Amino acid sequence: MVDAARQPLIEVKAYTEVERVEGFVGNFKVTLREKAKYVRADRCNGCAACAKACPVEVPNYFEMNLAPRKAAYIPMSQSVPLIYNIDMDACIHCYKCVEACGALEAIDFSMEDKMVEEEIGAIVVATGFGHFDPTPMTEYGYGRFPNVITAMEMERLNNSAGPTRGSLMRPSDSKSLRRLAIINCVGSRDKRYNSACSNFCCMYAIKNALLLKQMIPEMDISIYYIDIRTPSKGYEEFYDRAREAGIKFIQGRPAGITEDPDSHQLFIKSEDITLGRVVEHEYDMVMLNQAAIPQPDQNHMSSVLNVAQSPGGWYMEYHPKLRPMDSPTDGIFFAGACQGPKDIPASVAQGSAAAARASRILHSDTWQIEPTVAVVWEDRCVSGKGQACGICERACPYGAIDYTKGISAEVITAKCHGCGACVGECPHDSITQLHYTDAQVLAQIRTLLAVEPEKKILAFRCQWCSYGGADLAGTSHFEYSANERGLRVMCSARMDADLIYEAYRLGAGAVLFSGCHPQDCHYITGQIAGAKRAARLDKMFARMGMNPARFRTEWISAAEGDKYARVINEMQAALDAIPQDELKAEIERLKPEMEKKLSKLNQIPGVEEAMIQVDFIVSEMQNKAVPV
Amino acid sequence: MSEEIKTPNYAGAMPGDNPRIGVYVCHCGSNIAGVIPCDQVVDFAANLPGVVHAAETMYACADSGQRLIKEDITRHGLNRVVVSACSVRMHEPTFRACVAEAGMNPFLMEMANIREQCTWAHGHDREGALEKAKDLTAAAVAKAAFLTPLDMIEVPVSKKALVIGGGVAGINAALDLAEQKIPVILVEKEPTIGGVMAQLNKTFPTMDCSI
Repeated sequence: MVDAARQPLIEVKAYTEVERVEGFVGNFKVTLREKAKYVRADRCNGCAACAKACPVEVPNYFEMNLAPRKAAYIPMSQSVPLIYNIDMDACIHCYKCVEACGALEAIDFSMEDKMVEEEIGAIVVATGFGHFDPTPMTEYGYGRFPNVITAMEMERLNNSAGPTRGSLMRPSDSKSLRRLAIINCVGSRDKRYNSACSNFCCMYAIKNALLLKQMIPEMDISIYYIDIRTPSKGYEEFYDRAREAGIKFIQGRPAGITEDPDSHQLFIKSEDITLGRVVEHEYDMVMLNQAAIPQPDQNHMSSVLNVAQSPGGWYMEYHPKLRPMDSPTDGIFFAGACQGPKDIPASVAQGSAAAARASRILHSDTWQIEPTVAVVWEDRCVSGKGQACGICERACPYGAIDYTKGISAEVITAKCHGCGACVGECPHDSITQLHYTDAQVLAQIRTLLAVEPEKKILAFRCQWCSYGGADLAGTSHFEYSANERGLRVMCSARMDADLIYEAYRLGAGAVLFSGCHPQDCHYITGQIAGAKRAARLDKMFARMGMNPARFRTEWISAAEGDKYARVINEMQAALDAIPQDELKAEIERLKPEMEKKLSKLNQIPGVEEAMIQVDFIVSEMQNKAVPV
Repeated sequence: MSEEIKTPNYAGAMPGDNPRIGVYVCHCGSNIAGVIPCDQVVDFAANLPGVVHAAETMYACADSGQRLIKEDITRHGLNRVVVSACSVRMHEPTFRACVAEAGMNPFLMEMANIREQCTWAHGHDREGALEKAKDLTAAAVAKAAFLTPLDMIEVPVSKKALVIGGGVAGINAALDLAEQKIPVILVEKEPTIGGVMAQLNKTFPTMDCSI
């Protein structure tokens, strides 16, 4: 901690939140909110005179609310930076602190939150984890029985810098204790709360048990566990030490804790799997080894950073094995428990690894980004012909399009992120996206639907989420109908209505319009544009009398492989439920309507020439197809 | 920067461009070949218009697989490459680099995902998987025919890092970056850095203090 504060190249901004992250790799624009401390950092010398003078006491979060702090406070004596805070929610404005501070004049009640903008090349996200609150598990009585405490409360109660100066005592009567139980997996490996294992708590329980045994050798300590997991270097030996030290290990998840209301003694009833029977033991105190959970504000931060979350709420890495530190956004990296529960050695290792990943960028003068940007066909843009339009400018989430009536729209390439929203929205087909041109995507659609299109489910997927979801379905071997034919664009915003019409014109059985969840969009508001278009299409198809089973919109994250497989299987079942003759009749009936909508398709530059060539491929495929 | 980007006038059509496409169907050991007969995908692809060469490879991503593609580019005068293998999220950078080494623009390579999105998802529907693998390969061939060469966009880099979170992982990341002479802003929402680590007493397995 102190090393970080002392290092001249590190600027520690405590009591500061990340408000907004814009831009892209090498060029992030980050807005930070420096929250008002009401104490001037340049004047405060950490003398504590203000805290001594302050008459207000409130619980201290740092001490798990087991000890008070003043309204003028630092969370702990070793705080870095050593600058006091005035807690304005608790302050009674008696100004005794101002008086105590005296000539230093560090206290300034006129301070306000300050917004600071920073230009950043790469970001390491190390926002950590939260602790499961065992209150809802009424069977353990946390909150009702004073001597049932959490692991973090134990941590403060036996800490020499904690509220009891390290002497462990029972909250009910401040007496020392002789019999302690530790219950593992409280809120973890529990389908009601979090089904995942929290990774470090077995070792953590053993650590506390050993520590207390060293302090009070005669203490009787039992650890209730489901499995003991000690896979890292030196960990099994640590477990051996605990057993040799006489710590009891009872395999069984306790069914409940009861309390004698007079003595506040606790009784744990549990199955002891080793003995093969139900046992009940009495304890002076019980520590609940609570699950590690995502930070309470992790959902919020995930939308600020535009990074997705895995099942369980942790940040989702680009690839769990090959790129565990990378977020899917180039230039943003994860370190520590924000990506999933991990212990200190693993967090430290990931911190270094994330730093190494980030420094690849920060040591370079320039960085390469993909050229899949939008391009305007100047001769087609109606604005150039004097017509008012500007739809592309409004569609762009990045302000990357310059529109002035009378001049054809212009893409500012350096600002373009390549989502394709402008391409999807332009009603005059005057913009295209490099590497995802209409000709290229139409070529894919025609080939994917070359043979028996009425049996096919054509799935439009975005690069970042639903394509990843489809990948995960495969990686997890979640099987789904092989009639699915997927194609990829960068964002659901690129999924032009023309592309959907073309699928139905060709006779596609069903179409899936899929992308990310709104808060996960890689392109700020791209998904919103995609969702609006999908809703418009849905209404239009309903008016046309299309069977609703044939068009579906779903938002599927890269973590939702199971959902992708389920959606495709449901679509297949719904398609199967339409009688063949009815389906074929509907396809034929709607074909002219689709053709009408696509009447100008061949005017899009490159499309007509390309489709002539694609039709050679299509007829080759049709000739080859084995008649069923 | 924008003027440096090569933007074809009519993206999608390259007048006078005669695609010579090479198709590589990867076995991925038994990951793909264990479900579908890859030779049938090769035979199918070899007859598609625009395809001048199609071949199977045990591991397209391995050195031998990449060498085969690079040699074929010269031998068969390929100007497009289709790799039917795994996810683009896995190996698109690999095969882009591979064709670039043979002097081809990396954006003239297209992948068909016949592993994650085909054989792994349809392990018990071998016929369905084979038909799908052919279609996905054909779609990649069709797209490849209209690919245009593109250059990566070079952007400048602000030489400053932001570390969000002043716990043990964030502090360590900040120190490592600073020791490499990179300026770092370490942001912490609480009034002190240290995170959960600072609240702990001794830590396992060494039982030393945490701060």
